[in-house]
Amino acid sequence: MIRDLLANLDTLLLWGFAGCAFVSAALMLVLRQPMRVAMALVSCMVFLGGVYGLLGVHFIAAFQVLIYVGAVMVFMVYAIMLLDPRDESAGTSKYSKLYWPGLVGLTALAEALAVGYWNDLPHALRGAAGEPFDILRFSEAFLSEYWLHFELTSVLLVAAVVAAMAVIRENRRHERG
Amino acid sequence: MGALTLIVVLPLLGFLANGLLGNRLGKGFVTAVGCGLPAIAFAVTVKTVLALHGANWAPISETAYVWTMVGQDSFEVAFWFDRLTAVMALIVTGVGTLIHVYSTGYMHEDKSYARYFAYLNLFLFFMLSLVLGRSLLVLFVGWEGVGLASYLLIGFWFGDVEKAAAGKKAFIANRIGDAGFLLGMFVLYSALGTLDMPRINAAFNGPLVPAASASLVGILLFIGATGKSAQIPLYVWLPDAMAGPTPVSALIHAATMVTAGVYLVARMSGIYLHAPEASSVIAAVGALTALMAATIAIAQDDIKKVLAYSTVSQLGFMFVALGVGAYGVAVFHVYTHAFFKACLFLGAGSVIHAMSGEQDIQKMGGLARKIPVTFATFAVATAAIAGIPPLAGFFSKDEILWYALTSERGGSVLLFAVMAFTALLTAFYMFRLLWLTFFGKPRMGQEIAHHIHESPPSMTVVLAILAVASAVGGFFSIPHFLEPMLPMPVSAESMHHWHYWVLGGSIAIAVAGLAGAAWFFAGDASRAGAVKAAFAGAYRVLSNKYYVDELYAAVIARPLLWISDRVFLRLGDRLLLDGTLNGLAALAQRAAGRLARVQTGSLHKYAFMVLAGMVASLVWMWRHG
Amino acid sequence: MDKVQMLQVLAASLFALGLTGVIIRRNVLVMLMCMELMLNGVNLSLVTFAHTMGSAVGAVLVFLIFVVATAEIAIAIPVVLLLVRRKRSLDIETYTDLKG
Repeated sequence: MIRDLLANLDTLLLWGFAGCAFVSAALMLVLRQPMRVAMALVSCMVFLGGVYGLLGVHFIAAFQVLIYVGAVMVFMVYAIMLLDPRDESAGTSKYSKLYWPGLVGLTALAEALAVGYWNDLPHALRGAAGEPFDILRFSEAFLSEYWLHFELTSVLLVAAVVAAMAVIRENRRHERG
Repeated sequence: MGALTLIVVLPLLGFLANGLLGNRLGKGFVTAVGCGLPAIAFAVTVKTVLALHGANWAPISETAYVWTMVGQDSFEVAFWFDRLTAVMALIVTGVGTLIHVYSTGYMHEDKSYARYFAYLNLFLFFMLSLVLGRSLLVLFVGWEGVGLASYLLIGFWFGDVEKAAAGKKAFIANRIGDAGFLLGMFVLYSALGTLDMPRINAAFNGPLVPAASASLVGILLFIGATGKSAQIPLYVWLPDAMAGPTPVSALIHAATMVTAGVYLVARMSGIYLHAPEASSVIAAVGALTALMAATIAIAQDDIKKVLAYSTVSQLGFMFVALGVGAYGVAVFHVYTHAFFKACLFLGAGSVIHAMSGEQDIQKMGGLARKIPVTFATFAVATAAIAGIPPLAGFFSKDEILWYALTSERGGSVLLFAVMAFTALLTAFYMFRLLWLTFFGKPRMGQEIAHHIHESPPSMTVVLAILAVASAVGGFFSIPHFLEPMLPMPVSAESMHHWHYWVLGGSIAIAVAGLAGAAWFFAGDASRAGAVKAAFAGAYRVLSNKYYVDELYAAVIARPLLWISDRVFLRLGDRLLLDGTLNGLAALAQRAAGRLARVQTGSLHKYAFMVLAGMVASLVWMWRHG
Repeated sequence: MDKVQMLQVLAASLFALGLTGVIIRRNVLVMLMCMELMLNGVNLSLVTFAHTMGSAVGAVLVFLIFVVATAEIAIAIPVVLLLVRRKRSLDIETYTDLKG
């Protein structure tokens, strides 16, 4: 029994991480405090990182945790801490007027996706090689075939940094004026 | 450049020189070029006629330029010179040159002197290409060109709206006729594959009868002729064309251009010889036109209007001659008419000149002694048109009457009776004109009477030359000259013994007209006044020209205006075109207004639309995937 | 339901939940985080496919999405800061200035 369990530990963990990620994501919709929502998102991301790790793409798992959790979400948490005290809209409903239409849309979307998956996914996956790949192949492809895309994203990043600086400067001028 | 091309091109050079440089180089230059080049053209024509005579009258043909080749058919700007061309070209250049010279006196004070001579030279150019053209195509270019020149000269004083409108009327009436001419050309070309006139005539005379019905072609070409030569139903433009300067009326609207239709029919006689139906139509239309115009002329008071209706009537005579197959006689009348009608118009111009612009004969009278040269020439020309022997008009008119009675190609007693009566009317109204203008008591105002003076020599000399030509022109027998190419119709045998009766009759008619007019209008014209009062209704109909203009306006012009206004402007343009565009614009505006409401500014709604779009596209893929 | 199908359904669910969050939550920051969640869903889908098909393309795309997400948040946070300074509110329903 335990041996069976150990043999299937990978699968079990995968299902467990997936379930936790789903629950975290669902929690994001219902928690009120932005900080708690952020924590739910962080946990979701960490679980996804676990999923990636279990799939054998460790470097993506590492980047998921490093960039998303370590950079993006930390930035987000700072913003929440900075802005929350200034927010004067506390006390209003946390949901928009489109609460019920949104939920109905969610159902409809889920159904449409589900039908699509059940009909088409087996066809799409048939004949798949199923051969796992490692960091070596990824690096080769990344630096030989996709270097231009990589450069373009770095340009985008630089542009974003410049834009952020411009926004902050505009902010200051506005405050002074 | 051959002689024929030279004849045609000389006036064109004059047009270009006067039109482009005339205003800058002054009146001396304009006069020299404007009169000199037509005179040279006349000299070249005379030389060519002499050459033709030396070559035993074998036609000269000359290709100036190959215009285009379509398959096997070449379209050339080619000229042709035979007996008929010789007569017409001599008239055009000869009378044309005289009238140019006359114009130097008549138009001397006009500020658009150069423009006037440019137009006049342009007219000569087109008229000569009409007369000399070998192909119907060249003839048609000339035909349209003289219409253009006529339009420009009728509306010469375009500042006056009425005169500009007269120009437009002439142009439009001519266009209607041109449509018939064009159709006739199309039929000929599709049947024969050529527009070359000698070949067309040969084809109709040859053993192989062409596919085209001669009558159809004949009628279509005659429709063109009714426009240019002012026959029923398109004659209405000619009296209004008197709005132009008087020398123009003499040259274009009496001596040359209006005879183009006669020339066309005579030139295409090969067709008409095989088209008895078309010939009957021509004779009937000609007779009706002659009679109707003569009756109108009796009741007109404008000196130029009387002459204009007289021209229409004389053209009717020519068409009667054409209709009965006496083509040479028609050309004979063209020839004599050119002299005496040009003389009459120029004389009228001299009278108007003397009367300081007055044209109403009821306000003239007693001018005989004050402007004796004008009176003498005018009297000769009047006698000529009335048919007093031995003046030119007598010979041609007598021949027309003779063939109207006896020709086996459509002559009849009825036709003769109508024409004889018309001849009587002609003599009557022409002498009425003479009497009211030159005899009796002066009826003009003191101011005008004081200014009456004889015209300058440039005008009187021309008048004298034309008067002499009107007097002796008839002794040169054109029909006989043309007989080798335009044979005379056979006269009915049974009629031959009537010959002297007809001759005497036409003399009697002329004298009767003279006597009648003299009796009616002698003294203070009280007898005429009494008759006018007795037949007031008839007089009103005649002086209003049978209300034909009003009839055309009611039957054609007003419905057309109505259709243009209601159907094309209001329905088609405003409702359909503008309506569609405005409707589309309004639709876009309203739709944009509706769609703008989607832009709520609420991010939630935008995101919801994204969701809806995704669901929709997924469902669509799932359905059609 | 095998592993791949399960992961794809999870990816789709994360995306759908994220989109729904954008629609129904009012807090600007929460909406931004929901967008991150959507991106994560897409990433998961890509990684799963890349893993199954043995192709590096999916992984490369995921990598690029990381960078783009970083750039996005680097712009979005200052914009939100500016907005809040203007209206002192994180409620998106107060920002309807672009109404047509």
